[in-house]
Amino acid sequence: MTSVRLMSADPSDRGSQRCRLGPGLMSVLGLSVGSPLLVSLPGGSCLCTAWPRPDLAEGFLQMDLKCSSPSLIFNSCKLLNLDPSQLTPVPCLKLKGIKINVVVQSADFKKHTAPRIVHELVKDMLKGVFVHEKHVINLEDFDTEIKYVVVKNVSPDSAVSGLITSKTGVEIVGVQTVQHYKSLLQDQHAVPLGGLEEVNALLREMLELPLFYPGTLSSLGVSCPRGVLLVGPPGVGKTLLVRRVVGEVGASLVVARGPEVVGPRPGESEEMLRALFERARAAAEEGPCVLFLDELDSLCPRRTSSAAPENRLVAQLLTLMDGMNKSNRFLIIGSTNRPDSLDPALRRPGRFDREVVIGAPTLQQRKAILSVLCARMPTCPSVDMTELAQRTNGYVGADLSALCREAAMHAIREDSKCCLQGSGEQVVGMKHFQEALKSVSPSCLRSSLGRTDLSPVSWEQIGGLDEVKLKLRQSIEWPMRYPEAFAHLGLRRPRGVLLYGPPGCAKTTLVRAAATSSHCVFLSVSGADLYSSYVGDSEKALAQLFRQARACAPCILFLDEIDSLIGSRSDSRTPNSVQTRLLSVLLNEMDGIGLKMVERRGTARILQAEGAEENHTQEQLDCQDVCNKDVMIVAATNRPDCLDSALLRPGRLDHIIYVPPPDQQARLAILQVCTKSMPVGADVCLEELAAKTELYSGADLENLCKEAALLALQEENMEASVIKYTYFLQSLSKTSPSITAQQIRTFYQTPPR
Amino acid sequence: MSKPALTSLHQALRKSFQCVENNQKLWKSVLAECTPLLSSLGNLAEQSRALSNVQISNTPLRLFPDLEGRLRFKLLQATDTVLGKLNDKMTSLQSVRDAISNQVCAVFQLYEQNTDSLGLPVVTERSATAPSVTDMLEWLQDAERHYRHQFLRRKTLLQTLRADNLSLLESAPERWKSLESPTADDNITDTLCKVSFFMESE
Repeated sequence: MTSVRLMSADPSDRGSQRCRLGPGLMSVLGLSVGSPLLVSLPGGSCLCTAWPRPDLAEGFLQMDLKCSSPSLIFNSCKLLNLDPSQLTPVPCLKLKGIKINVVVQSADFKKHTAPRIVHELVKDMLKGVFVHEKHVINLEDFDTEIKYVVVKNVSPDSAVSGLITSKTGVEIVGVQTVQHYKSLLQDQHAVPLGGLEEVNALLREMLELPLFYPGTLSSLGVSCPRGVLLVGPPGVGKTLLVRRVVGEVGASLVVARGPEVVGPRPGESEEMLRALFERARAAAEEGPCVLFLDELDSLCPRRTSSAAPENRLVAQLLTLMDGMNKSNRFLIIGSTNRPDSLDPALRRPGRFDREVVIGAPTLQQRKAILSVLCARMPTCPSVDMTELAQRTNGYVGADLSALCREAAMHAIREDSKCCLQGSGEQVVGMKHFQEALKSVSPSCLRSSLGRTDLSPVSWEQIGGLDEVKLKLRQSIEWPMRYPEAFAHLGLRRPRGVLLYGPPGCAKTTLVRAAATSSHCVFLSVSGADLYSSYVGDSEKALAQLFRQARACAPCILFLDEIDSLIGSRSDSRTPNSVQTRLLSVLLNEMDGIGLKMVERRGTARILQAEGAEENHTQEQLDCQDVCNKDVMIVAATNRPDCLDSALLRPGRLDHIIYVPPPDQQARLAILQVCTKSMPVGADVCLEELAAKTELYSGADLENLCKEAALLALQEENMEASVIKYTYFLQSLSKTSPSITAQQIRTFYQTPPR
Repeated sequence: MSKPALTSLHQALRKSFQCVENNQKLWKSVLAECTPLLSSLGNLAEQSRALSNVQISNTPLRLFPDLEGRLRFKLLQATDTVLGKLNDKMTSLQSVRDAISNQVCAVFQLYEQNTDSLGLPVVTERSATAPSVTDMLEWLQDAERHYRHQFLRRKTLLQTLRADNLSLLESAPERWKSLESPTADDNITDTLCKVSFFMESE
């Protein structure tokens, strides 16, 4: 049998519960005029009565959605084709009783109308209507305040649908407003949220406690908390969390957006704010309600002395929050990423009672977020969430979702490139994620000072210096790779490492190699980034740098040429210079008394894990979370005597590593590395060269090889095929070592500590 | 075969349309009686408003003891009387509605009892003089729904009036008037015209 086309209902049939079909289809289905018919549609079903079309045409179906599933009431049906099997005649029973929820337009009507009148009206309205369990009856055609009726259940229990007659008992279970009902419907399909369980639980508790145990709180003589301030960097999911919690609890949500509240005329903003509180108060009468002030810092900046219009707005908010009495059972949630710019009067108990800090996600949290994000993506089994979580240091939820999107885009691009027919199933593999990692950088580092895009250097590319390499690995790579072993022996990872030695001996390159091998975020600052013509600006920049570095820990912060960057207090020529002030900032940041409140990460987890550190039986991931929450400072200098002694004590720069000028063997290794990509003549004896280059640094040796190659090109007119030994010797005679024996002696004589 | 059933159904339909026609007139006359009552209700509301706005102690009338309370009592009493009268009218409107509802219900019952003998081709058959049975049933149902809607809206309006909300009382006459839907009334008149041949073909 052919399918029928669903069309929108005729206006004259509005509210009649008729379903117009062709008479042929009606007789096939065994329907008579006015007999009930259940139409199943995608997303729900609709109960209506069968009527022949006035023009008796077949192949069309028009129905009035008087009684249908909740999802159909608010989403109008699109044109679609229905199979006749989707139409099922239902038996016509007369119902004995029915339990309903009434949905009315305004809270005002709900408040002032006696239940008896509502009951009488609803009963009159429902007479002669076929109803189905869990369906919604649309009463909008009556044009009264009563808009919908939600059918809870019908009796006799054996029936799911039937006709309401004048003898049917109607019991009203509850009365809601349309707004509340709609918000409840919308919240049924919320997205899951990863890694924010603790904050989620806290907010839920605050919402549900006064609701479920109203007596307990009053018997204790306390009022329940009414304000929560969510603080955290952008993208950690503050707004999403609020929406999620509200959905879970079934509360209604009133959102205040900054631009909507602020009006152009004086007094208008305050009025809108009052209206907003009034709305929340009305919504709170029906059930839990949350007033959400997103981006609170824009709404309520710190009050200034001048008569700025914001001052009045802040004052209005303060008085409104104070004016909430016990009967107003709604919770105010504010969210901001700049808590310092809020007015201090807002942040006291009684207004925002609790401040919840949502930090950048920790390793475990990132793993949870990733698994939520990837749950709906067809991922390859090779994708290892743990490894991805390890690689995504400093990524917040928004970054991770961007990462997943980017990976999916790579997969699609590859798919369309490889097989043009595009039939194969798209699977997102680990390689797509790796590609995506290159293009998506963590957002907390987007505007950071020292973000450097370094070309990877492997340890093998550095000749010699095996002892230094080992020390560096010990202090940088090991704590990251084997945290459980460190915890086992009660070791802490070092706070900082100082590399010193004569210039050109690969100090910078060593750090680069360490950063490459450890996969952590690498920030590098120079004087140009920090110094500014304003007083206090440089210190602020350095503190900011540390804050960002901590947000995406584990992180390596590289301070090259630290002697010129940070001064020494002992050298009393300029007691109050920028350098000394920077030094004090650095000392504080490295070994200060603690972290700022807003920098907390993964609220309860850290404490929990630290407590468990004692019994050595924790997971490796937990261990990594806890051990690697610090920033590692790596500094390099060739004038260690200029450094302040406070900087060099253990606990700050713990490991002080001397990078010596290369000895003969190291020089050979360096020469080998340098000449790896050069066509060297067979007569070249690198050992002899190494022996002849006493006091040459690594940079000198590299320069030597370069000179030799240039000489070869110069002598043989661009046609040089190999670099002969003579060229090396010639260039050796031209160049001289950059390190002097005197320098080395000073390094040996005056160890920095 | 279906002849006797069809004849009896036709008979019932004729009776129903007759009933609708009679009740339509009745309905209109009752509504016409309501209009002055509503306007006096609005007037009373206005008077109450005026009473609340005036400060009697500032006028020469202050010599009369407890004037405001007495006036208010008077006004409330008058409002009560008007509402009582309106309630009576509502009762007669309700009886009109019930009469039509019962009649339409009876026709449907008759049809449902005879669905076996009255196949779809029979009930959808139209002729030059008589509309098909389904059309007539539909019109009857539409008319019944119209009266139910009208009655409920008016009832809701009256039921939600409150003495403490003067603006509701004041706006009552306009809202009462806006509830009238001439098109739906015309539709019923049209229907009655459409079935006039059928009614006369007895």
